Parts: sequence; structure tokens; C-alpha cells
Amino acid sequence: MVRLEPYSPTPASRAGRIFTIVAPFVMGLVCVLLSFVPFGRIVGSSLTPAFVLMAIYYWAIVRPEMFPPIAVFTVGLIFDLLSGGIIGLWAFVYVVTYAVVISQRLLLVNAPFTVFWFGFLVVAAFTGVLAWAVVSIFYGTLVPPSTLVRHMVLTVAVFPIFVMIFGRIQTRVLPGS
Amino acid sequence: MDSNRTALPFREFSHRISLVFMLTLAAALLLLGRAETYVFDQARQVVTDLAAPLLEVASRPVAAARRIIERTDEYAYVFDENERLRAENARLLAWKEMALNLEARVARYEALLNVQLDPSINYVSGRAVSDAGGPFVDTVLVNVGREQGAKSGLAVVDTDGLVGRIVSTGPKASRVLLLTDLNSRVPVVIEPAHYKAVLAGDNTEWPKLEYLTNVSAVSPGDRVVTSGDGGLIPSGLPVGLVIQTNDGNLRVQTFSDRGRLDFVRVLQYEFPWQVERQDPPDVLKGPPASSSGSAASGSAAVAPGGAE
Repeated sequence: MVRLEPYSPTPASRAGRIFTIVAPFVMGLVCVLLSFVPFGRIVGSSLTPAFVLMAIYYWAIVRPEMFPPIAVFTVGLIFDLLSGGIIGLWAFVYVVTYAVVISQRLLLVNAPFTVFWFGFLVVAAFTGVLAWAVVSIFYGTLVPPSTLVRHMVLTVAVFPIFVMIFGRIQTRVLPGS
Repeated sequence: MDSNRTALPFREFSHRISLVFMLTLAAALLLLGRAETYVFDQARQVVTDLAAPLLEVASRPVAAARRIIERTDEYAYVFDENERLRAENARLLAWKEMALNLEARVARYEALLNVQLDPSINYVSGRAVSDAGGPFVDTVLVNVGREQGAKSGLAVVDTDGLVGRIVSTGPKASRVLLLTDLNSRVPVVIEPAHYKAVLAGDNTEWPKLEYLTNVSAVSPGDRVVTSGDGGLIPSGLPVGLVIQTNDGNLRVQTFSDRGRLDFVRVLQYEFPWQVERQDPPDVLKGPPASSSGSAASGSAAVAPGGAE
């Protein structure tokens, strides 16, 4: 009987495998950086959408094994460090949001796009209220929510564009899609 | 038995454990963040310094796109703009005459009173390379760091007026707390009534006026400038105009527009702590024998504290 040699992957395939594992996390980091690029100034506005929330929602539903809680926490913490705001605010808010999304994943994983989008609307509202509550408790005052509302409305409005981009990355780059 | 079927519940279990652990860690961080500020400040500075060059590169196409849009707008309204500038120029010429007369008069008064003039303020120019990135903070990163002479507390202005002040610096980049941020407090003076107040950001577009002693003396349209109290920010920097909101409160529309922030100046202002004693000019001293008491009080008024 012929004995087969044990399979050992080539360095290139190893690198490819590592890339596919870390790709959603890297996209999370890219989303953190994008959040600080002043896109709004093109039209004379200071509003930017919550890119990180879009990434967390999308990958928590589509590929939760590739976007584990530690990645969500790390992305949130880097966002906190870069924003200059309350340390741990977005790390906490995003991990809670991730837990909520994961718990409702089966409802949304194969749903039509409109349901997927509506789910994001609910999640954005939940995230906004949670963040607002934490900040208000932290500062001991009711923080005016107008900026937050505009921020979340913009995020929900541009979400379909990012679903398209993430979808392309998922089908072209990640295996088993 | 299939190993995948046994691995699946275990994977789910470990995923849940990891989620609970991260939730606890994030909550602990939220509480600790307030107490242990030094460690987080250092971490924040490292992350900021790493991200600043990337953000600078990413913000260039944004600035170029904005310039194209602005240029297109300018071409579209070039005729109207020309007419407006002609009218404004005619008005400014009249103002120029008045300003020259006043300048000469002020110079005479200063010479007469031997006034100690403010030293000129050096500045470093840079670009705002990032946006706030969240709905609860109004800070931007500028590409002027410790190596270029930036340090915490320095005022940052653009062509329109005061933008904010530096709250942390790294070797290459600094963080600027904008006037609209929840933590921003700037001492200001409202002209022409010359009432002092504190401009307090509250996360809205228009900062509030706090500790205003006489609200009735201030009306919408009044000009707000820095008072220089506290010695951190130089006095007289233009801040904005007083406006009245729908609920009747007085707020300030800042001259600098956060949505159009690009090139800024970091003012390297140092409060003149070391003031040399100056005697008043002879013209103010009066006759030496009869009014020696009033001369002594005049000297104290010119050099308060008598710092050497």
C-alpha cells in the first residue's frame, strides 16, 4: 500500500490563510482610520458616518468566526485612543452591540437586503442610545443628542454602499463564501 | 464520531466566554480610564503619532476635492462676487481712513502713558489632518508636534478666528480641543459692552456663554473676543458673534467653521510673567511736594505686584 506524504502548506498558502483570517479585523482597523478622514469637509460639513459600526454589524452576521469579540474590543479601543474621548466608551459600546447582533444573527443571516438594512437601523439606534447614556452618566449631564442623531442617520443612509463593498471583498477574497 | 460535530459546541462555548470576558474588560476600562490617566494619555499619544502620517496622506485628496468644488462655485458666482467685493472695497476705504486716524491717536496716547505693549506672538503653521471621528468629541489632529514647538495649552487659530487650544502633543502631531467640545472653556469678552464670560462648548454647533454677569447688556450680533484671563490664550483673538437661539438663550456662532478647517496657526504665546518695574512718565507725577501720595498709587497701578 502506498503511503501518502503528510500535506504541508507552502509559505504562500500559509500567508493567504493568515490574510483571510485577519482580513475582517484589518477592515475594522481601516474603518477606524476612515472615521477620522475629514470626508465631510468636501461639502463643508464635519459629519462622518460610523464606519466601524457598519463593519461590526456586517461581519458579526456574515462571518462571526472571523470577527471575534477580541477584534471588536481592539477596534473599539483604538477608536477611543484616536478620538481623544472617553477611554473605553466605544470599546464597551461596540462589544455590547456585537453581543446583541450575534444573539439575533439567525434572524438576519439569510434575510433579504431590506430586512438586513432595517436590522442595521435598529442596531444603530440601540448603539446611539447606549453611547449617549454612557456619556451622559460619565459627564453627569444630559449631552445634547442632535450631533449623535445626525451621525447615526448618515451612517444608516450610506450603509448600502458599504454592504456592497464588504460583499465584494467577501466573495472575491474570503474562501467558502 | 465526527470531530467537527464535537468541536462546534466547544467553539460556540469559547466564543461566549470570550464575549463575556471582553464585555467585562471594556466595562472595567471605562471605569479605570477616569482614574489612570497617565497610562492612557501615553497610549493615546503613541496611537495618534502612528496614525497622523496616514491621516495626513488620506486628507490630501479630500482637501483637493474641496478646493475643486470651491473653485467651481467661485466660477459660477464670479460676477456677483465681483460686485459684492467692489461695494465692500468702497466701504473698507472709508474704514481705512478712520483706522489710520485712530491708530495715530492710540500711538500718541501710548507714548503719553508709557504703555507696556504686548510682545509679538510667534506662530507655527500646520494642517488639520483629521476629523473628530465621533459624535461626542470635537477634537482634531494637526501636523504640528513638539518638534515644531507645539505644547499643551497653546491657542490655535485659522484665518477666521480662534479654533481651539492644544490639549496634548506628540513629536509630530498635536490634538486640538475645538471650541464646541463638551470640555472646552475659554474666557472671553463681549464687545462693545466689554462684559466678561466663559465660552463653554456643549457638543452643539454653538457654544454657550457662562458666568455672564449682565445678560441684558449683551445682544445678538455683538462681537466675542478672547479676554486673555488666565494667561493661557492671548487677548483680543476673534471668536465669534453672539446669536439668540429659538429658546431665547444667548450662544456664540464661531467665526471658524469646523466643516472647512484646513490650515491653522499654533500661537506660541507666553504670558509675560516677568514684568519690569516702570515708573510713570513725568507728566503723570504732578508736583513732587504737594501730591506725593497720588504718585505712589500711580506707580502701583502701572506695575501691579511689582514683579522684578
